[in-house]
Amino acid sequence: MLAAFGLLLAGLVPALTLGGPAQGKADNKVVFHVAMLGEGVDSLNPFLGFQAPSYEMWGLTYDYLTGYSMKDMSPEPGLATKWTTSPDGTTWTFTVRTGVKFSDGVPLTAKDVAYTFNRVLHGTAESQNWLSYLKGVTSVTAPNDSTVVLKLKKPSATLPLLPIPIVPEHVWKDVSEKAIKSYAAEPKNGEPVVGSGPFRLVSGTADGQTFKFEANPDYWGGTPHIDEVIFQFYKNDDSAVQALIKGEADFVEGITALEVKSLESNANIQAHNGNSPGFDEIAFNAGSVADAKGTKKIGNPNPAVLDPKFRHALGYALNLPQLISKVYQGAGLPGTTIVPPNYTQYHWEPPADQKFTFDLTKAGQLLDEAGYKKGSDGFRTLPDGKPIGTLRLAARSDSPTSLHTMDYFKTWLSDLGIKSEVSTYSSSALTDQIYKGNFDAFQWGWYVEPDPDSMLSYMTCGQRQGSSDSFYCNPEYDKLYDAQHVETDHAKRVADIKQMQEILYRDSPYLVTAYSSIGEAVRTDRFKCLVTQPNPGGIWLEQYGVYNYVHMKPASDTSDCDAAPGLTGAVKASADTGSSSSNTPFLIGAGIVVLILLAGGGVTLMRRRQTVEDRE
Amino acid sequence: MSLVVEPGAVAEAEVAPGSQARRRGYGSYVGVKFLGAVGSLFFMLLVNFFLFRVLPGDPARTLGRGRLTSQAQLDAFNKTYGLNEPMPQQFLTFLKNIAHGDLGISLQYKLPVSQLILDRLWPTILLVGTSTILSTLIGVYIGLRGAWNRGGWFDRISSGSSLTLYSMPEWWLGLLLIAGLGVGFAFVPGLFPTGGLHSPNVDPGSIHGVFDTMWHLVLPVTTLTLAYLAEYALIMRSSLLDELGEDYLQTARAKGLRDVVVRNRHAVRNALLPTTTLIALNLGFVVSGAITVETVFSIPGLGLLSTDAIGVPDFWVLQGTFLVASAGVIMANLVANLIYGWLDPRVRT
Repeated sequence: MLAAFGLLLAGLVPALTLGGPAQGKADNKVVFHVAMLGEGVDSLNPFLGFQAPSYEMWGLTYDYLTGYSMKDMSPEPGLATKWTTSPDGTTWTFTVRTGVKFSDGVPLTAKDVAYTFNRVLHGTAESQNWLSYLKGVTSVTAPNDSTVVLKLKKPSATLPLLPIPIVPEHVWKDVSEKAIKSYAAEPKNGEPVVGSGPFRLVSGTADGQTFKFEANPDYWGGTPHIDEVIFQFYKNDDSAVQALIKGEADFVEGITALEVKSLESNANIQAHNGNSPGFDEIAFNAGSVADAKGTKKIGNPNPAVLDPKFRHALGYALNLPQLISKVYQGAGLPGTTIVPPNYTQYHWEPPADQKFTFDLTKAGQLLDEAGYKKGSDGFRTLPDGKPIGTLRLAARSDSPTSLHTMDYFKTWLSDLGIKSEVSTYSSSALTDQIYKGNFDAFQWGWYVEPDPDSMLSYMTCGQRQGSSDSFYCNPEYDKLYDAQHVETDHAKRVADIKQMQEILYRDSPYLVTAYSSIGEAVRTDRFKCLVTQPNPGGIWLEQYGVYNYVHMKPASDTSDCDAAPGLTGAVKASADTGSSSSNTPFLIGAGIVVLILLAGGGVTLMRRRQTVEDRE
Repeated sequence: MSLVVEPGAVAEAEVAPGSQARRRGYGSYVGVKFLGAVGSLFFMLLVNFFLFRVLPGDPARTLGRGRLTSQAQLDAFNKTYGLNEPMPQQFLTFLKNIAHGDLGISLQYKLPVSQLILDRLWPTILLVGTSTILSTLIGVYIGLRGAWNRGGWFDRISSGSSLTLYSMPEWWLGLLLIAGLGVGFAFVPGLFPTGGLHSPNVDPGSIHGVFDTMWHLVLPVTTLTLAYLAEYALIMRSSLLDELGEDYLQTARAKGLRDVVVRNRHAVRNALLPTTTLIALNLGFVVSGAITVETVFSIPGLGLLSTDAIGVPDFWVLQGTFLVASAGVIMANLVANLIYGWLDPRVRT
């Protein structure tokens, strides 16, 4: 019995220890392991998903007609090499790159582009996510294999930005309108998803934890310098950071400012807080109504927050530097308008005499002027002399930033003689409260796309009960919005957009508190040449486009980074580039088996001995 | 034959003349219990539909925030997933789909719910099942060792430490293990992975993959086992203590049996009954998973699926996971009832 057991063990152990590593290191592939945090991939079908990581997956798999520059995210050639506009701005003609092939060898032509856009224009499921980019487009045609023509009712200022993934017609024509709502577009039987992007998705499924991509050697933008990209999703940021420290991951995205700080001391890791194109705000109920026309008032906003003068005065009661240092741990910038400064050409920076500063005296003065004077009890009253009462501030329970911001806001309000209370809701519960108008103020944030058009639209009257969450409505603003959307003169459009931000700053439906940042860290002993977008100061990973995936290099590669005119601060390799891959997993796995077998064997032996004793 | 008087034997002696009636009685007992279970399941189906409709939130607005920027796009989303239909119509569609075994399409992941649940079922069963088995075996052993030498050093240490572990939140215990054994400290290297069910780049079907999965499961399984341990240890300990005063143990000792035999052959067998109940009930909860531990260790199980679905709210997924969880509990109860009815005829009246 014992001897047999020993033989079994002797046979098992070497097989395990040898079998494991051999498989992992068969060929010296350069694999970029990314630890992702937060929401996972909600769909690999580019018509259905919404979450940011899904965009990353489609970005690697598919191509786009136009791309975004690394410098400031302005339009750049993608599949389209050039484009022209008719003088009246209602016809756009794109010239599509020739020689591009899908991963199954079928050439990509203008017909595929027209097919994709037409599905968005005429479908239901297909139109959800992408219709806004084709706003005003009446027809899309491909007169030949290298030309796409877009006809519009009115000129559209958001063109030529068309970030819609181009899908292969020969694959998707078999996916009916009815089937597409649950069509996964995932690798099947080892066959990668058909696309023309720099990488090919070979394994992964929506809601999955692991996504594996292989480089496309025929990519028109150049063969990537890495062989594989693997995304591993973590639910817990501690685990993700530890994976980076241990070398299980080469990159981690979405970590906190404190984690960035602790990683900075590691010689083989470069960590930073990249400015992301998003902002956080305190939003007010500027007049909740039941529909976009505003015919019926709903909810119960405090009369004070309905008044633009009251809201504007509170802008001077926000100690934004303190907020950034305490709540954002220093990672982020004090906010001003709803177009982040990342978008240099569109951002309006308030001049010194208009800009909010933390000045409670000035805030009090402005409130006095607007009629919100202090009563005998030390609390401010409405212009008609009635007490303001208690303002209801809502925070999101799933965001510590939201909770802390509102706690500070409550303190500042109380310094001004205004009572308030903070209630917390889950994001979905708060959404319900907002659309019912049952709030005075809440904290939330937005990501702003390279073209600010949709962000600007959220503040129009027509978006009430749509995407607007402040119910702000101002005909003067709406007129400018409509004008900029069809403006073909770029300089004139920028002027309109800046004026719109000025109006919002004055009326203050939002008090923008912070421009957020994203914590990222990379193993510099494994990879180099990553560049931020925008440059400088931006982020490395979830960019608009796939620059880094194509241009990053393994740290052991002694050649220089690819030439990148106008871009600075590419990640440098650290001195110690000996990549370490350990056999630990397999040894430990084998160790556990041995332990279990030993324990099992021991128990069996003991039992045998017992029965022998019992029999005696 | 042992001299132990089993409860079933007494009952059998009392109703001995009607043994034929008893057999028929068991048949109808099974029928009633089975119908009851089917009824509960059907009731759960109905409750499921309406229960989740009262959750706050609107899927189109939660999922499509910043993406569904116009009313046309919001409408397209709602139309695609049938959310624009009036509630009674949605309920009829739901019943029709269920009759066809179709659990609907996840609003969040745009995949059939049945496929999602099947994908997520195995990690949960693997994690919670293994932990349940381990904690049962170890817990029962600790409980009986403790009770047998009540007040001894083993008893004091084991009761103390298992109670301490029982009082710890599972996720915190998990984080401690990650910090200690996953990351390593001072001179101790990190021995185990910090999350996930298997390494990327490893085929979970291969032998290599199986060991890799085992290696990944060590910390989460340890966490859950330690957390569940006290429950079994304490129940076992107290039920064995109850048995210790019984006369039959005196008899067994008087026969000259060794202490270990008295314990294992006589006392423990009777003391196991309450533990069996507990195991049967807990097995029903295996499918509902260990939500916090799945979150800490990023194990893609049913618990994680349900928590993700609540925030949306993803009605179809919630209905599906609740159906599976309640079916698990109902099944376990049914099986426990059937076994009881068979073991102890008094239950059937």
